Amino acid sequence: MKKLLAMGLSVLMVAALLCGCTGKKEGGRVFKQGFDLDYPPYSYIDDNGEVGGFDVELCKALCEYKGWTYEAVPFNWDAKDAELNAGNCDCIWSGFTKNGREDEYAWSICYSDNTQMIMVPDDSDIKSLADLAGKRVGVQTATSAYDLLQDKEEGQGELRETFEKLEVYDTYTIAFNDLQAGGIDAIAIDVTSGNFLMSGTEGYHFLDEALGSEQYGIGFRKDDTELRDEVNEALQALVDNGTYDEIGKKYPEIYEFLCLKPSSEE
Amino acid sequence: MAEQNLENQENLGKEVLRMTNIHKCFDTLVVLQDINLTVHHGEVVSIIGPSGSGKSTLLRCATFLERIDGGEIEYLSKTAAKTENNGKVSYANKQEMKEIKKYFGLVFQQFNLFPHQSVLQNVMGAPVHVLKRDKKEVEEEARILLQKMGLADKADAYPCNLSGGQQQRVAIARALAMKPEVLFFDEPTSALDPELTIEVLKIIRQLAEEKMTMVIVTHEMSFARAVSNRVIFMDGGVIVEEGDPEDVFGDPQQERTKQFLKSYKD
Amino acid sequence: MTFATMLQTMGSGMLKTILLFVLTLLGSIPLGMIVVFLKKSKFKPIAWLTDIYIAIMRGTPLMLQLLVWYFGPYYIFGWSIRGYKFPALLIGFIMNYAAYFAEIYRSGIDSMPVGQYEAAEILGYGKIQTFFRIILPQVIKRILPSVTNEVITLVKDTSLASALAYAEVFSLAKQISASQTSFLPFIVAGVFYFVANYVVAWIMKGIEKSMQYYK
Repeated sequence: MKKLLAMGLSVLMVAALLCGCTGKKEGGRVFKQGFDLDYPPYSYIDDNGEVGGFDVELCKALCEYKGWTYEAVPFNWDAKDAELNAGNCDCIWSGFTKNGREDEYAWSICYSDNTQMIMVPDDSDIKSLADLAGKRVGVQTATSAYDLLQDKEEGQGELRETFEKLEVYDTYTIAFNDLQAGGIDAIAIDVTSGNFLMSGTEGYHFLDEALGSEQYGIGFRKDDTELRDEVNEALQALVDNGTYDEIGKKYPEIYEFLCLKPSSEE
Repeated sequence: MAEQNLENQENLGKEVLRMTNIHKCFDTLVVLQDINLTVHHGEVVSIIGPSGSGKSTLLRCATFLERIDGGEIEYLSKTAAKTENNGKVSYANKQEMKEIKKYFGLVFQQFNLFPHQSVLQNVMGAPVHVLKRDKKEVEEEARILLQKMGLADKADAYPCNLSGGQQQRVAIARALAMKPEVLFFDEPTSALDPELTIEVLKIIRQLAEEKMTMVIVTHEMSFARAVSNRVIFMDGGVIVEEGDPEDVFGDPQQERTKQFLKSYKD
Repeated sequence: MTFATMLQTMGSGMLKTILLFVLTLLGSIPLGMIVVFLKKSKFKPIAWLTDIYIAIMRGTPLMLQLLVWYFGPYYIFGWSIRGYKFPALLIGFIMNYAAYFAEIYRSGIDSMPVGQYEAAEILGYGKIQTFFRIILPQVIKRILPSVTNEVITLVKDTSLASALAYAEVFSLAKQISASQTSFLPFIVAGVFYFVANYVVAWIMKGIEKSMQYYK
């Protein structure tokens, strides 16, 4: 399968490889952050049409610290691996879950915790994970919540079998619409995305029982450990000088999950 | 055909079509003005005249492809259209029109065969589907008609594989299959090369000998002179001169007729 | 995940894609004909409404239409939409494609020479007979290439059903690709679409050939 994958990728990505130069500059390099345009609050297009989000701001601060030129590479989440392997971006940095993908990338230190939750309407009769039996549950494709529900060994694959149906949406926005409209009974979602969805609406809450937990890191190409190490160092420096905390405060829905501590505290 | 001929003999001299005081205009342009035309059984009437004289429009009014704006149309003493007291023209109801339409056939300048049907299907279509006659009986008659047209071997061919002359003969057979009381020809040879014209004229001449009632709009002067019982010269939407072909062609009374015929001799 | 397991999983998506494709065609091809009749209606308000319908169907993204068909009943009327996903998908696809087919039919009907109608009228064919015996067979031949294009587009458009969480082959490819960090599911999906369209093109070519007996 790996060989087939490599072959397929090489055929499909030739064009991308040809023009996907790594773009090193003298003095400071160009650092290309690959991210999902629609993954608030980590990365998204803000009200002014600018890219924004915790990850984007943190990356910009990191580039400033390192004297690198920042370049945004927004992509379709499904295409993240193709983009990374083709060299169109230096890393995947967009609320990117490390759990379950440990061996596939060179990972940075994890900068945020995240938990997978079940979101239900306040008047729902679902009180625990067990109550999900025979219910319709929605999830967004290619998210860690989705992966968690597929994984029978370490994840919640068996719980999923008890559902009447698992509806897989392109975006959580549509899934949330469907929950509001009564098309589904619950949504499996990471806590930060869930908080973001619920921030404008009353009448929804998470079950107390969590579905699973995970950590966000920055994924680099497996052989790109040099760059990874440089970013790790810079990231720690940003934590130490308070920039990390400062940016985090702008995003209250995820602030409590930020897990990096200044070196002095360790 | 034999049967029909006998019938024709009996009816010989009886009025088939009577058009009285026909008016027709396109918007403000008057194309037919006070036209009177009566056609008797067994008669062959030729209508000649320059283009734009209204002769084709007259045929189209007689066959209800165009509505008249004034006057009266009768087939076999059945009123098809007449001017009411309020000056508006009213047509007979749908059922009566359906009956009246059976009295005539029309052969077009452009043949208008149905290209997706074979020659035999073209000829059989209307008797089978419109008159709901027995298919076997109709096919027998259709083959006899085609034989008469010299097309016995083309029964299964499609129109696109026939010459223009052959197509026009199929069109004549198609019209005859409905056993009309009167057959109209709208410039039947205008779209044909001279050598193909001859084969079509031969057929019409043959029909004339069998006392088929016909009204022919044509540019073939010598043919009109030879085959018709009566010639009508039209110009500017009115009948200028009318009479025995030898009189009209040999000794025209009207100046416009003389000029027109002269232009043909030159 | 082995290649076989992946194929098996994606196979269910292929069946769903084919189901959506076939039902959409079965619905939209005849509905398009009705739309043409309405558009050509002599009662003007009906003709105008039909024009507006066609303009909306062609002027807005199909994915948006699918969302409206699905969520509309809830947001407009407050109706329960539980279990209404597949019907909404079908309605959305059929209504959209009927509009496109209607325009194709209309162009075919309008391209028919008036002589065909006149010849039929003189021979006594009624309006309905004329349409079905004389006009329609010729129109079908004329529009077949455009219809083929539209049908091929439909094969690919079925992937839009993922907007309503319909697990057709492309959604599954996305899901498997993401969870397996592999591009292979996309290649499998690509091959599926290619083969499906090859079959469609082959069938349509056969139909075209069967009508080549006349020009």
